[in-house]
Amino acid sequence: MKPRLQIISAEHRSAASPVVLDVEQVSKRFVTNGSGDITVLQNISFTVRRGEFICILGRSGCGKSTLLNILAGFMPPSAGVVRLNGRPAGHPGPDRCVVFQEDALFAWLTVKENIAFGLKGRAMTRREKEREVDRFLSLVGLTDFADYLPAEISGGMKQRVSLARVLILQPEILLMDEPFAALDAQTREEMQDLLLRLWSELSHTIVFVTHDVGEAALLADRVLLFDRAPGRIKEEIRIALPRPRQKEDDGYYALCRSITAKIKAL
Amino acid sequence: MIRRIVVMTQPRRLLNWLIPGIFFLAWLVVSETGLAPPYLLPHPKDVLATASSYLFGDVGQAAYAGRFFEDLTASTTRVLLGFGLAVIAGIPLGVLSGRLALVNHLLSTTINALRAVPGISWLPLAMVWFGIGIKTTVFLVALAAFFPIYLNAEAGARQVSPTLLQAGAMMGVRRLRGTFAILLPAAMPSIITGLRLGMGISWAYLVLGELTGVTNGLGALIMDARMLGRIDIIVVGIILIALIGRLCDVGLHYALRLSFKSARRIP
Repeated sequence: MKPRLQIISAEHRSAASPVVLDVEQVSKRFVTNGSGDITVLQNISFTVRRGEFICILGRSGCGKSTLLNILAGFMPPSAGVVRLNGRPAGHPGPDRCVVFQEDALFAWLTVKENIAFGLKGRAMTRREKEREVDRFLSLVGLTDFADYLPAEISGGMKQRVSLARVLILQPEILLMDEPFAALDAQTREEMQDLLLRLWSELSHTIVFVTHDVGEAALLADRVLLFDRAPGRIKEEIRIALPRPRQKEDDGYYALCRSITAKIKAL
Repeated sequence: MIRRIVVMTQPRRLLNWLIPGIFFLAWLVVSETGLAPPYLLPHPKDVLATASSYLFGDVGQAAYAGRFFEDLTASTTRVLLGFGLAVIAGIPLGVLSGRLALVNHLLSTTINALRAVPGISWLPLAMVWFGIGIKTTVFLVALAAFFPIYLNAEAGARQVSPTLLQAGAMMGVRRLRGTFAILLPAAMPSIITGLRLGMGISWAYLVLGELTGVTNGLGALIMDARMLGRIDIIVVGIILIALIGRLCDVGLHYALRLSFKSARRIP
């Protein structure tokens, strides 16, 4: 396995960079028939700076995916505001791209066509588009699979395509909804490595939803620990472990243990 | 793309004709042994002679001789007109009904009630409305083909995962382009099923539509032969409709695969 690339330290990044995403007092209630409303999210506030890697960690059912849907613009919050670069974020668009947990590729398009999908209508020549697609194909290691259909490739490869098709749009912020949860352990580790490598090369801003403590500890600059329903931010954990992080390190192990203890205490 | 076009090997190709072959052999056996007398089931060689006269004979040489191409043209025109009308109405209404609750509420009761009415009960009414001739046949074919096309388009559109549309939205696809670039391709397998069912049923209702009043067409041929007790002609008509129906199905399949990328993933 290739060694993980050195990445600039979290402190350096968060101190100097401008705020990209500003979530202010966001709540979400769902109206049900009869039994009253269900509050899924309550007064969520946090900011994300350019280049930061944020993990939202919580048990299933704590509203973390709902929050991601609100950030993406797929549903409006019941109260509160989401700002992107200072302006209220409205409809979904290529400035906030999502990598979904399940397979959301277009089954009738090849790998290459899936990656090129979002470029349609952009002011680029055909040749420029082709070059971009080739670049991202090689970034996610799928050059040899360019002409395959999604049904012909593995789950891990599908998530690589999902990643490439949004990275090519150069979103302000990348939203990831448990993207590796459905993969086997080996593939998940490969994908985590790939994501960290791409992040260091392309310096994206990432909000990553997960229920996996080890994943959050490996990836994040900051972890937002969610309380049980209704979802609230219970604690913000800043991870100072140097990168590249190793799962064998004592520091990493201690961190995982302490976060796990916090989740159990919820 | 060439890589994905499956080349059927010879043994598999033969498999397609196994069941028709068995039927033919059984037919030959019961005719040769006299198990089925000719007035119930004519001998294959008589049917073959009738067929060759019907297909290739000179008009006037014998009854029904040389009429095939006129009948074929008349029937195909009626089927294509009726099927075309069913497609034009069925796919847009079905897709709208599958995606918009309002349209679904508006249409579902009416369509599901009408669907229960057997086609033959429309025949007298259609004859009163449209008179005797092509319009009645086209109306019946369109009516019958509409339901499978509509229902499958509706089911296909409804089952499209919302995640696909969200994925489109985040990649900057607005509603109209999303309909053509995501919704329809994702619903394509169901839409194709509906079109194939509709095409099959079109031929079935063609015969019904040609029962009365028209002088040409394969349905008219069969009805005419029934009056005259020419059972060999009836058998010829049945086999020809089966063959043409299969040809139309294959043609439809290839036309769709040629026109839509999303149709290519269906074997």
